[in-house]
Amino acid sequence: MCLRCLVVLAWMLAVPVSASHTTTFKIATVAPDGTGWMLEMREGAETIARRTDGRVKFRFYPGGVMGNDKSVLRKLRIGQLHGGAITGGGLALIDPNTLVYSLPFTFRSWGEVDYARARMDPLLIESIEDAGFVTLGFVEGGFAYLMSGSPLHGMEDLRGKKVWIPEGDRISRSVFEDMNVSPIPLPLPDVLTGLQTGLIDTVGASAIGAIALQWHTRIKYVTDTPLMYLHGALLIDRRAFSKLDAKDQLLVREVMSEIAARLKLNTREDDKKARQALQDQGITFVTPSPEAVMKLRRSVAGTADRLAEEGVVPSQLLEKLRAHLKDYRRIAGAAP
Amino acid sequence: MLTPVTMTWTPVISPDYRGRWLGLCSCTLLLLLGGCITTATQQLATNVSAALANQNDPALVRDGAPAHLLLLEGLLEGDPENEELLLAAARMYGAYATLFVEDKERARSMAEKAHGYASRALCGRRPDTCAADKLPFDEFTALVDTMDQQDLSALYVYAVTWISRVQTSGPGDYNALANLPRIATMMERVVVLDEGYDFGQAHVYLGAMDCLLSANLGGRPEQGRLHFERAIALSNGRNLRAQVELARRCARLTFDRELHDRLLNEVLAADPDEPGLTLSNVLAQREARILLDTSTDYFE
Repeated sequence: MCLRCLVVLAWMLAVPVSASHTTTFKIATVAPDGTGWMLEMREGAETIARRTDGRVKFRFYPGGVMGNDKSVLRKLRIGQLHGGAITGGGLALIDPNTLVYSLPFTFRSWGEVDYARARMDPLLIESIEDAGFVTLGFVEGGFAYLMSGSPLHGMEDLRGKKVWIPEGDRISRSVFEDMNVSPIPLPLPDVLTGLQTGLIDTVGASAIGAIALQWHTRIKYVTDTPLMYLHGALLIDRRAFSKLDAKDQLLVREVMSEIAARLKLNTREDDKKARQALQDQGITFVTPSPEAVMKLRRSVAGTADRLAEEGVVPSQLLEKLRAHLKDYRRIAGAAP
Repeated sequence: MLTPVTMTWTPVISPDYRGRWLGLCSCTLLLLLGGCITTATQQLATNVSAALANQNDPALVRDGAPAHLLLLEGLLEGDPENEELLLAAARMYGAYATLFVEDKERARSMAEKAHGYASRALCGRRPDTCAADKLPFDEFTALVDTMDQQDLSALYVYAVTWISRVQTSGPGDYNALANLPRIATMMERVVVLDEGYDFGQAHVYLGAMDCLLSANLGGRPEQGRLHFERAIALSNGRNLRAQVELARRCARLTFDRELHDRLLNEVLAADPDEPGLTLSNVLAQREARILLDTSTDYFE
């Protein structure tokens, strides 16, 4: 083989992502093809391809075809993928600091989320970058609520319930154990069967998620106070991203952050509609008393303190988040 | 390691599922064959329906079907509770809305009308189903389980037109999405009563629903594939739609390009002419061409 051919071959092997000044980012997402999410993502990709004269392209792997978060992360590490719409669980694997948003009963409203995140996100973007990823935008999955076959008005009603927690979720396990509830860990695909067979009878889920995963067919009551804020991010591998010239990097950030902002708004709208749909399906929303909510929050705050001491959740960031929420509640005249 | 918030974090699932359903309802045209209307005029309506299903020119059907819809409406004016007519109108409106109407609002309205006709037919036959869609899910399932062979046609058309409604529903219609398990329950009952009904089409719908989500989100692509394969077997391989949907929904979901391309090439090589399936097969071949043309882009 001629020397020149060898050089060309070596170059091709070394830079699998690029060819003729074109960079193609391979992006995994659990969004099924044809959904609003994928349409937005593809629109962003088309805009970028057009405005970079085809220098930057995206290839999407929708519908979870690249596997769960762990599997996607493995493929990111070996360069088979370059980015993804990563859920909170996956984000925690990349950067445990993001767990600060994942504690139950932390946020009470979208107002609180927006206020605190505007002040906290820059820290997390930096932290995620240190972990090797560029954050193109943060996205949300709505608030999760406790959903069950019988009404749950407070901690007492939870006792004796067969509460599902995601496998390996130490925070949720600690939270429920501190309430004297023994949670049942199951992988996500087994939850519907678990509800059908009675292995579990209580789940934490967003309204959107409950409908999409058909869990709504097995629950009758929703406890109408936000249990947990579900979040994620559009990430891209820092090394792959740094191969773009500065101008193209800026453009990708600009376009994709706009898409992420739009996705966030759409999801909040969808969350409202999905809540209404649950009610239309005959599911009853129960509102716990302020005292019962306070009791739940106090219990979870105690657990969070302990987990922070143990280094499971980032203590400094948790302190900062709590301070911001305190400020917001003071300004809004809400209960501390 | 910690994975705390994976629970139901599915921001990606939106009611834009109708995108996922595109093309599937073209198989509702197969239903055009059904019915045995008694009077001479009703017989004409049935014959026209059968002739449309046997057409190999979709444009001709698109242009000609509205006249048939008006004929059915006219017949219903004179006999508003006639079950055969209600089901025939439901079939035609549902199929026409999802296949040929581009205006989204108009399509949605026609699909609702189709479901309304089917609902009247089922309710007339089984008064206990009149408000079935408002029942809690477990009670709904128990009711569907009481349906027997005589209810089959009405049950099936009701379920198919419900799918048309899901397909044409607007963005943010989570109720449409929330009803999918009910539709699946009805299709499962159809399979129990007569799995070969309408060329085994109930298996196609069930397969599509099983392949809506990947296995790691609780979908059942393996089960979905079995449903599609059963539909293919039940039609002796003549229902090309079943192969196209297996490729589009399950093979793409599981990233199985070999299966995807093989199925689609088989569809393109097949003769579409088959009594009752010709129009559906011609449309399936068109979609197979598009899917094959985008195969490289999707899989590589």
